[in-house]
Amino acid sequence: MTDPGTDGARPAGAVHQFIPALIPRDATGSHTLLLRDVLREAGWRSEIFAEATHDELAGQSHRIEEYPSQARPGDVLVYQFSTSSVVAEVLASRSEPLILNYHNVTAPDLYGSWDPPAAARSEEARRQLAVLAPKAALGMAVSAFNERDLRDAGCARTTVAPVLVDLERSVADPDPRTAARLRKDRAGGGADWLFVGRVVPPKAQHRLVEALWAYRRLYDPAARLHLVGTAPSRRYLTALRGFVADLGLEDAVKFHGEISDGALAAVYAAADVYVSLSAHEGFGIPLVEASRVGLPVVALGVAAVPETVGDAGLLVGVDDPAVVAAAVDRVLSDDRLRLGLVDAGRRRSGEHSMVVAGRRAVEAVATVAGAPPEGSPPAVPGDVP
Amino acid sequence: MSGDGSVDEVEDHRAYLAQVMAEIDQEVRRRRSSGDLPARVERQLDELFLEHSPVAGRGGALEDALALVDSSAFIDPVVPVASNRSGGAVVKKGLRSLNLWYVGFVTHQVSQFAAATSRALHLVEDRLGELARELDAQKVPPAPVVDVPGDGDPTAWWVAGALDALGSVPGRVLHAAASDGWLVRHLVAGGVDAYGVDPRVGRIDAGEREGLDLREEGAVDHLLAVEPAGLAGIVLSGVVDGMAHGERRQLLELLGDRLTPEGVLVIHAWSPSAWGSDAAPAEADLSPGRPLRPSTWSHFLEPMGYRVGVEEGPSGADYVVTAFRGRADRPR
Repeated sequence: MTDPGTDGARPAGAVHQFIPALIPRDATGSHTLLLRDVLREAGWRSEIFAEATHDELAGQSHRIEEYPSQARPGDVLVYQFSTSSVVAEVLASRSEPLILNYHNVTAPDLYGSWDPPAAARSEEARRQLAVLAPKAALGMAVSAFNERDLRDAGCARTTVAPVLVDLERSVADPDPRTAARLRKDRAGGGADWLFVGRVVPPKAQHRLVEALWAYRRLYDPAARLHLVGTAPSRRYLTALRGFVADLGLEDAVKFHGEISDGALAAVYAAADVYVSLSAHEGFGIPLVEASRVGLPVVALGVAAVPETVGDAGLLVGVDDPAVVAAAVDRVLSDDRLRLGLVDAGRRRSGEHSMVVAGRRAVEAVATVAGAPPEGSPPAVPGDVP
Repeated sequence: MSGDGSVDEVEDHRAYLAQVMAEIDQEVRRRRSSGDLPARVERQLDELFLEHSPVAGRGGALEDALALVDSSAFIDPVVPVASNRSGGAVVKKGLRSLNLWYVGFVTHQVSQFAAATSRALHLVEDRLGELARELDAQKVPPAPVVDVPGDGDPTAWWVAGALDALGSVPGRVLHAAASDGWLVRHLVAGGVDAYGVDPRVGRIDAGEREGLDLREEGAVDHLLAVEPAGLAGIVLSGVVDGMAHGERRQLLELLGDRLTPEGVLVIHAWSPSAWGSDAAPAEADLSPGRPLRPSTWSHFLEPMGYRVGVEEGPSGADYVVTAFRGRADRPR
């Protein structure tokens, strides 16, 4: 990692990013790391300043307190906004041009009484957004859905630049032990549903359990549901496990937790359909990952999901168990539909390749920072074939 | 589909998606009406999950929470010293001896605080119990749903007029209390997007088996879940008769909010004189209120922007109120 204050080759023209917490395998964290690489490839100096950094990423960022002493004229600051943080207060007091890279904030009421601290954080994040949005030189939203939020918050100039995703993680070398275990489960027959996302109320995993119950009753008694993702809301997880037990689905619903890229690739490879009934998605990276690996998608068409999925998924208007079960059955039993979704998904995931998304990000940043210092072309690494 | 993504292929795929969604809709209707998965079962799934939610189990939640407080109110400063490693237990015992004086001092205070908190919560629980008993003795029970003369009979004197008033409304029509869906069936046959609710256990079963959209819940509970201006028509039969004044006023406010600006309200009710006769159901004696005189509905509804028509039945036992909002024509 270079020191942003000591790189004398280009004294001006730096685009630095700020993030509350830099975490591996986290959508905002991964985007931040990839954007840094894209900005550097384009010719800007670029560092990451974080309030906290996961041990696994030690050395990838500076502490936020270090920035004031290293600030240089001509710096442009990019804030990766997805939650409340002291970083927002720091940036509100800075005079450098600010780009608000907005990943959306979940509506507090979606947490309800399940997770009052998370609801309070969402409230605070919305308050901070209202402070920063009018000040931002550019609001860079990862979806048109998010762009509307930015405008509503008072951002005068906005654009949409897709989130940067390393889609290769979903097709990494599958972990052999996970793959073997899944093969064993599949030997008894039955379809495998998959959902990837944090186990929290807004992701509505309980609705997936209901839909699976209906699907097993109506179409496929041996079907399984795989839930991948960390569970920050212990209360919701406990309720979910209790609900699964009430319905007698202990053997059918698999809680994988947070898993390695290899294990995730194995789960993606073993699944028959990706199902999302999430009530709130600012973008929905796993929807694109599923399309990348050739999984048909059935999803509740709310928030940013329709624009992320496009015609690569069967979008249901309601999350009634009978509707979702019928939609999944249709996808799995109708070859024309399934292959159409898979083809459309592969095309769609190509639109989210690093080349396309990286170029768009560089163009957006250049409208505030000017052309990269050496006039470098916006070349970016890591294209998806 | 070959997957090259030509314009024709993309258009074809999109058209097929729309067709599939329509077919899924039909499949769901078929499954629900055949009894494979009645809508009621889906609602029971939701209720089952809500039993696990933080706001569930209001009755026993405080008791359970107090039991948890009691069980965790004492903090043991004497840490376990067993170890699988050779010499580990000796080392742990040494550490425990060194730290016990300090940890013991802290945990003594924490335990005292927890015990005081627990005691305070028990006092709160006792007081809440007393208040609940006092309130229970004073509270006004909700009005029961009753059968009104002619309910269940599609040839009853008031039904043709109701069908006429509701036949061309643009939007959903709710019937409460719907019983086995006898009126819903006729409205649907007439091309109206109708459904019904009835809180009486088992009353909707036959209609639900038939495939009618019926739900086992009360009118007020249901209306609370409907979005504002979500209904073009509402038929109430046997719902308002025994209501106390406050309950009836709340229902009217709710109806005003849930009806579209040009919605139609039909109320079929017992007449006050018949309510006191032997012909009235037993619920008449158990209700907190009694039916209004027909003209009183005009007194209530006209200030709320309705144009009201009232018609009494030939036997004098019942009457119907038909109220139009906004530009709707034909006051009866």
